[in-house]
Amino acid sequence: MVRLITHNLLACHVKGCTSNNFPLEFKDVQVVVRQSEFNPDFLRGFIAKIEWTALVGAARELGDTSLPEMQPETLDDDFLHTLHHVLLEIHVEEGVMICPNCKHNYPISSGIPNMLLAEHEIG
Amino acid sequence: MPAFLVVFAQSHSEFRIPELESVAKLHGFAISFPSDCDPSRPFMIITLELEEHAHLLARRCILIKQIYELYGQGNTYDELHMANKANSHLWSPYVQDTSFKFSINAYNHRIHESRQRSIMESFTYMKFAGKIDMKNPQIILGCFEEYDTALGLREDRDGNFHQVYFGRLVADGSARALIQMFDVKKRLYYGNTSMDSEVSLLMANQALASPSKLIYDPFCGTGSMAYPIAYFGAQVFGSDIDGRQMRGKDGQGQPPGVFRAAQQYGVVDRIMDLCTFDVTRNPWRCGNLFDAIVTDPPYGVRAGAKRLGRRKELSEEKKAANIEHQLAARTTQQPYIPPTKPYELSLLAADLVLLSRYLLKPQGRLVFFLPTVNEHYEEVDVQSMLCDGMELVANSLQDFGSWGRRLVTIQKTTSEAYLPPSFDGEMRETTGHVPAHKDFREQYFRGFKKDSDVQ
Repeated sequence: MVRLITHNLLACHVKGCTSNNFPLEFKDVQVVVRQSEFNPDFLRGFIAKIEWTALVGAARELGDTSLPEMQPETLDDDFLHTLHHVLLEIHVEEGVMICPNCKHNYPISSGIPNMLLAEHEIG
Repeated sequence: MPAFLVVFAQSHSEFRIPELESVAKLHGFAISFPSDCDPSRPFMIITLELEEHAHLLARRCILIKQIYELYGQGNTYDELHMANKANSHLWSPYVQDTSFKFSINAYNHRIHESRQRSIMESFTYMKFAGKIDMKNPQIILGCFEEYDTALGLREDRDGNFHQVYFGRLVADGSARALIQMFDVKKRLYYGNTSMDSEVSLLMANQALASPSKLIYDPFCGTGSMAYPIAYFGAQVFGSDIDGRQMRGKDGQGQPPGVFRAAQQYGVVDRIMDLCTFDVTRNPWRCGNLFDAIVTDPPYGVRAGAKRLGRRKELSEEKKAANIEHQLAARTTQQPYIPPTKPYELSLLAADLVLLSRYLLKPQGRLVFFLPTVNEHYEEVDVQSMLCDGMELVANSLQDFGSWGRRLVTIQKTTSEAYLPPSFDGEMRETTGHVPAHKDFREQYFRGFKKDSDVQ
């Protein structure tokens, strides 16, 4: 269940792949939406870590267009609920994440992504 | 400040003070200990500003059996009664019409019923006028005799106690029930390296797990650390080099094992995600992410730590053939399992501290177990793992005889940004100090004998 919060934190880490290695692109995904408890304090604490453009892009790739292009300056309740849904309730169960730069495929199976590198990809 | 008597469960004595301090810090109140405090004793006097703080401790500390408001203590009953009389302002509100009962107990001893009665009668000067209610008293007055040892004849020992304490019960330690709740044997998914529930709860407390925090376990395994942390409200992220540990064998159609166990505890929602990767080759986009890193690294008795790589480098020819094979596997979507090599424990521990400095937020904590050979352990073993900006908070031994494991709590005290570690410890210059946890696995299987003892 790769959530978009996780997707926003993972970059390709193949040896030498250091630019344009984020965000990973989704392919052949199966998405499940699961309700989860709303924790506004967690979101307020985490928001500074988000790469906003990457999050908006990933959500759109998965068919969710609820987030604004630009990160709003005031964090009202409506916005936090939207953010909660996108970050924590959309799960990618199956599929692949592909590095936009080196095209390495990171497969997702039963919700667990395999980010292991092959022998020739490590430094 | 009011004094309280803490009655501890009889285990993990070195974890007692760190746990009290952590839970007080989590709730943001002060706690202090007398200068001659001996944590190996089952009774401890602490001072707190408010009685409410004692309730908070009793609700969260796994090692607390009970907390009493302290009315008096002494080497003898005469001393105890003198102290109790001097504290009459503490108990005078209950004199008029509060129902009560006495509870007379001893540690390392059993007090005969007739003497229990005479102890109760010795408190008649308090003139409690309320009714004695054995079932539902409004207050319970506890008296404890503490004996140094249970050895010898009971008759000889009787009355020769080390110390006697008296007070009013404030709270029973309700967190102890969690040990049963998280019992590994009742868990839907576990493995042979799963951490026992009491210790994993202690680790969650050292990590200050609470709602709105994000906590990471880089050697997640079967998820033992994740469940109590999530239960206390934090979001947990787990990674492991071996995805099979997190998934389990039940396979097709079933969610991975860690999710199933988390479901059992009603916390699956707080397992943010699980991910397969080698922590020395990690995909984290940035640092400064986590409130705590809590982990039980594999140290080799049942399962050794592994990292990507080979024990011996291949020849150029073999390397080329290998890459060809790997690329072919990749296109057909066959699961490819890269080779791994052992990850020596002292390198792993040093890397873990550096990684935590990168990944933790300022004030964040690293909590992990370090196995060690007791005979050879020196304080410098742990001190030498530290680096700039990382300070030792607690170091508690769980003793198994010739070896033990130390629960180490380290805090990030810097707000400077550091680069991720290079994980090239094999090449690093060493200071010459060899810690007792170096090559722990080999030492374990040698029975902790020195090289010179082995023929």
